[in-house]
Amino acid sequence: MKLIITDIEEFNFSVEGEHKIIKPQQSIHHCIGCFGCWIKTPGRCVIHDGYEDTGIEMGRCKELILISRCCYGSVSPFVKMVQDRAISYIHPDFVIRKGEMHHKRRYQNVIELSLYLYGENITDAEKETARIIIEGNADNYDGRVKDVRFYQSVEELEGLTL
Amino acid sequence: MRIALINGSPKVKDSSSGLLLEDLKIFLSGKCEVAEIAMHSPDVSEEAIEELRNTDAWVFAYPLYVDCMPAHLLSCLVQLEDKHVHDRRTHIYGIVNCGFYEGIQTDPALRVLQNWCVKAGFCWGGGIGVGGGGGLAMMSGPKPDKGPKAPVNKELEELADQILRCRTQENRYVSVAFPRFLYRMAAQMGWRQQIRANGGKAGDLGKAITNDNL
Repeated sequence: MKLIITDIEEFNFSVEGEHKIIKPQQSIHHCIGCFGCWIKTPGRCVIHDGYEDTGIEMGRCKELILISRCCYGSVSPFVKMVQDRAISYIHPDFVIRKGEMHHKRRYQNVIELSLYLYGENITDAEKETARIIIEGNADNYDGRVKDVRFYQSVEELEGLTL
Repeated sequence: MRIALINGSPKVKDSSSGLLLEDLKIFLSGKCEVAEIAMHSPDVSEEAIEELRNTDAWVFAYPLYVDCMPAHLLSCLVQLEDKHVHDRRTHIYGIVNCGFYEGIQTDPALRVLQNWCVKAGFCWGGGIGVGGGGGLAMMSGPKPDKGPKAPVNKELEELADQILRCRTQENRYVSVAFPRFLYRMAAQMGWRQQIRANGGKAGDLGKAITNDNL
């Protein structure tokens, strides 16, 4: 299953195979750092606003595709809120991976991550930051990066087949 | 000189970011005025913007969330850029803490703040990345130059000096002076205590939710 997280409300892209799209449909609450998804209801966020099950969806997917406006090298606040609310995908315990401390797996699936960022005047520094962040995501999810691309606008993205 | 200390943790109280700002304040004490500004939610208030306009340097303290800054703070930065609160003379500093042991893991979260400075029209002053942030609350001692927090305090003292001189420093990374394996062990014991306190079992920490047990 492909899990697509995007800030594009009118998402009409061609997607091959089984997939789920998380986009701004209702308002989302930001993560409040309570760790309830680890120590109260393990695996599920305690904030019930329709976005509490993203960690579970990540446990079922083969591909995680982030399509977002570029904000200083990061994804946009909406996409980042979904990501922040989905740390239940991983286990609170630590492991040492590539010599650094990371979180243990909760699920056994190995996620392939793709990042498609759009925006006018994305600088080289922002592109470098975006690549570092998605590599960091892959390390923390114990997955791997499949693709990273940058676009000038949403319109330019529309030819993309996911 | 008036310096804004911005708490960018989503936690209103008991955050590691708040602790680090309190420690920084000690090193700034008597040498400047301080304005304490909370950014715990995705919206920046007009009062906060007014307060920020009357300061000479801003220090953002925030935790590492998913290899970057928390989404609510990112939202605040977008708003500050949109509202054109910029001043090329204003230096921006960052203090990022993470639950991982290695401070270097905060690097992307500092880069995002640096990139924001370029886009929003500020002067990047540099920052520090603190590893072992989850243990800071338990590591306070009477002397800042002693104990497991000493290396962090040393970096904060250095950063305070740079801020007061309106200087820019390279990003610096530090970890608590506490063995990594013990830090890991203490953190994992903490998770077990907390889930039991919530009426759960330690074994549930690793519960995988599938279609069968949804």
